[in-house]
Amino acid sequence: MSSMASDQISGGAAQERALAQHVWLRVVAQDTEVRTGDDGDEVLTESVRIPAEHLDAGPRGARFHVVDFDGTAGKLSPPVTIRLGDEDPFADAAAASEAAKEGNARFRARNVYAVAAATLATFEAALGRRLAWRATGHKLFLVPRAFAEANAFYSPLDGAIYFGYVPGAESEHLTSLSYDIVAHETSHAILDGLRPRYLERGLPDQAAFHEALGDCVAMLSVFGHEAVVEKLLRALGQSGDRIAMKDLEEEKLRETALLGLAEGLGKAIGRNGPLRRSVERDPTPDWRDRPDLVEEHSRGEVLVAAMMRALLSIWTGRISALIGPDGADLERVAEEGTKAATHLLGMLLRGIDYMPPVDLEFEDVLEAVLTADEIVSPDDRHGYRDAVKEGFEAWGIATPQPAGIVDMTEREQPGYGRANASVLRSDRDEALRFVWENAEVFELDRTWRTSIEFLRPSVRIGPDGLVVSELLVGYVQDVELTAAQARALGVEIPAGLGDDVPLSLSGGGVIVFDQFHRVRLHQRKPLEDWQRHSRRLAHLVEIGALRAAEEGAPARVDLGEEPIAELHRSVANAGEVW
Amino acid sequence: MSPPPNKAGPAPTRIDVRMYQVGFGDCFLLSFDYGKEIEGRDERHVLIDFGTTARPRSEPPSSEEIVEDIAKRCGGKLDAIVVTHRHKDHLSAFSSDKRRERLEALEPELIVQTWTEDPDLDPDAPGPKGAGVAATGALQPDPSLRFVKELREAQAVADRIGGALAGEPGVLGTMGELALQQVKNKAAVDNLEKMAKRAKYHGRYVHAGSKSGLEKLIPGIEVSVLGPPTPKEWPEVAGRERDDDPEYWLGLRRLLDEVKAVAPDIPAVKAANAPGPTRWLLERMRNRQLDSLQGIVRYLDDALNNTSVILLFKVGKRRLLFSGDAQIESWSYALRAKEAKELRKDLADVDLYKVGHHGSRNGTPRSLVELWKPGGKLSSLLSTLPHAHNEKSERTTVPRGPLVSALEGLGPVERTDTLPGGRLFIDVTASTGNKAPFKVRPPDSK
Repeated sequence: MSSMASDQISGGAAQERALAQHVWLRVVAQDTEVRTGDDGDEVLTESVRIPAEHLDAGPRGARFHVVDFDGTAGKLSPPVTIRLGDEDPFADAAAASEAAKEGNARFRARNVYAVAAATLATFEAALGRRLAWRATGHKLFLVPRAFAEANAFYSPLDGAIYFGYVPGAESEHLTSLSYDIVAHETSHAILDGLRPRYLERGLPDQAAFHEALGDCVAMLSVFGHEAVVEKLLRALGQSGDRIAMKDLEEEKLRETALLGLAEGLGKAIGRNGPLRRSVERDPTPDWRDRPDLVEEHSRGEVLVAAMMRALLSIWTGRISALIGPDGADLERVAEEGTKAATHLLGMLLRGIDYMPPVDLEFEDVLEAVLTADEIVSPDDRHGYRDAVKEGFEAWGIATPQPAGIVDMTEREQPGYGRANASVLRSDRDEALRFVWENAEVFELDRTWRTSIEFLRPSVRIGPDGLVVSELLVGYVQDVELTAAQARALGVEIPAGLGDDVPLSLSGGGVIVFDQFHRVRLHQRKPLEDWQRHSRRLAHLVEIGALRAAEEGAPARVDLGEEPIAELHRSVANAGEVW
Repeated sequence: MSPPPNKAGPAPTRIDVRMYQVGFGDCFLLSFDYGKEIEGRDERHVLIDFGTTARPRSEPPSSEEIVEDIAKRCGGKLDAIVVTHRHKDHLSAFSSDKRRERLEALEPELIVQTWTEDPDLDPDAPGPKGAGVAATGALQPDPSLRFVKELREAQAVADRIGGALAGEPGVLGTMGELALQQVKNKAAVDNLEKMAKRAKYHGRYVHAGSKSGLEKLIPGIEVSVLGPPTPKEWPEVAGRERDDDPEYWLGLRRLLDEVKAVAPDIPAVKAANAPGPTRWLLERMRNRQLDSLQGIVRYLDDALNNTSVILLFKVGKRRLLFSGDAQIESWSYALRAKEAKELRKDLADVDLYKVGHHGSRNGTPRSLVELWKPGGKLSSLLSTLPHAHNEKSERTTVPRGPLVSALEGLGPVERTDTLPGGRLFIDVTASTGNKAPFKVRPPDSK
């Protein structure tokens, strides 16, 4: 092997025995401010399992490239080589803690790499395939100390995630050392690869989902660390290894464990407010009428709140068998919390494949999550789906009526006569031909411009332990027209929007093929849902997103140059500017 | 003629507002006409702001000419000076000692400034001092004091950025200039302090809800201070959401010192230009560096704008609104805060509006404009100069087209940037007894 050998984390002499598939790297479990140890001054760290790969200095692997460039100071730090086993200087918790405290350049590079890689691995495991970035490159840049700003964001244009830092008099706070921030931003990048059109200005739920998914992944991933859950439970003031019965009630666990977690997350970039509110919020089915929840960001809190409710219900369900007269074993309670979080996260992520390519609404999220779970776990023995359903129902979110996901096995089957199944698996044009030929079956109007948005094979483990393979074909339909033309079609045009304002309306769906290349499901958002477009336009006018169009800009309304960076800024006053 | 407001006594029967052509800046002279002599004079005069950052492009009037015109218009006696905030385009004229002396000769009796300019305000003092900054105990630093401290630190940072970038070509240089506008106003600030010391009623440093002190100098009027709120009253006014480490700016300043941040040819960047996978990213990040520094300068620019004094003058039936460069984060207090209910009750009746922040997209909240009814009753005064502001994109053009159109839909908009070269000012005038629109006074009358 070349001198690169020492840069590998593939587990040593590769040719001579089976390649190691995973390695463990110690990272900050939550945030550098969360401490543990005898004197309570050791940063809480945990080893995470990530896929092994050949890794150059950077670290730079197949999917991530860490570049430690300080944009504010214009300072480039040398690339970092990750070492394993006895050579790993940060394998020891105390050493890792010290490095985290001082913001050590070698440590922050590996921390950001490991958390991002673990997050990608979680998504890939749930969806059963490799996931591509939106950008054309295969590697996503991670910049662990990008600028002196209390912000971190994913830039689709640069194919990079920038992690800001907050200078201080003595030390600085690095957002790249917060597990939740890295997981949150990586989720943005992954979702953007899966559903690029979610970054366009659409219905308010859509932008909210981008944030909510990031928050759910962040919260559930951190909650997937036993060390974190144990610490949260010990904060109850438990002495010894038992946890009292009164502390095991759903409401109590919410107050302590979840709230404690939310408060600790996202502190550096002021995001802990929304997270805390998501846990604290009492569900109200009529939240859509509440002015404080119409805005996109606070809307995301509703979805997070629904998921956290589901988490509590699953968790308390799992620990009920552990409870004796004197409470329960604390470590076991923590372990069950971790399992519940990990399971729920998997459910949520699997659902993404069944979400529409455009115009997502919370109802679709629920439907997608339930449908996806039904495929891998038809009998729902532990009532997980019920927990999710109840969590959403408390917020007045039910599956759409009529259903957005249609079971095609109960309907007229499309014609396969002019299609080639094996070509269809890998060729967008063949997929389009198939959709075109079967437009009537899929209830699509050929008038609108139709294109294939994605073509993805997916592999999962089914209920019988055998592999379930699927093919997902995402298509979109678009039409560009003026406000007057949209009105003629049945779209309600908000008052004050001129007849000549150019608009763009979209619809789309996902066709799911089973292992026999037969169409099994069809998730659909018809372009002809004029009522949906009326709602979308009303929302866009309300938030001022159509102003550029009113002034003659192109019809497609996206979030601007850096959509996610914009999302992270306060938009409380967005409607006030000209 | 309508009776004077509230109490018996002399009250202005007419009001004139003179908007000087300063280019990109503000300079307004308010003249209250009583129609008869009161203590020897039939008028009272208040100067609001006097500064510019870019002069009109053709035959620009000089500040000296303007000072002389002020002296002439107010007949040798200026009652009060209001300086809305510390930006160059609102106070640069005060930086010259000669002009200060000329203005002092007009014997202004009161200098009104924003609360953050109070020279007695000591952000390091254990107990707070100064207008509206109430004690909160030693453990929790007072957010208002912390804000002042932050502003000062941020100015030091901007000074470094400006020092390194001013004079550079292109957008770097533009940003350097913007950075310097945040800090290089010391001479003007010092001069204002001197004038305040000599003025009969000294200086008054106001925030939302405080007394302006103008009523005792201008009989028969009422003045409400609608802004700025202090961060203690309205945390939003302190600006973007940031980490609550009070040492942020201090750390940043040290950082910039350490690495000579802004020199465009940093060795590390040059080295990174070697071929390889990082090259592309670092090219992109050069723009980020600019964004990041710009973010710092903009934070300060916004924060200072949001210290602008917002005054609502009530003169007979007239309501005149002067808001300096206040942006939405400050305006939102007057428009939304529970505590400001009393303050905003007259906003819907405004019939003369000094367009905020030279017509920028965030200087005039939409919800403010929505309070005003169409029908041609509102007169707007817009002191501006196109392409003189630091413009990032078409959307940040000053003055902003959609705003100007909206105001034009409510009534006449008088603007300095369409005045012929060499014209010193435009006058608008109205009786205080009715709500008929303000009229432009022909250049040669009075």
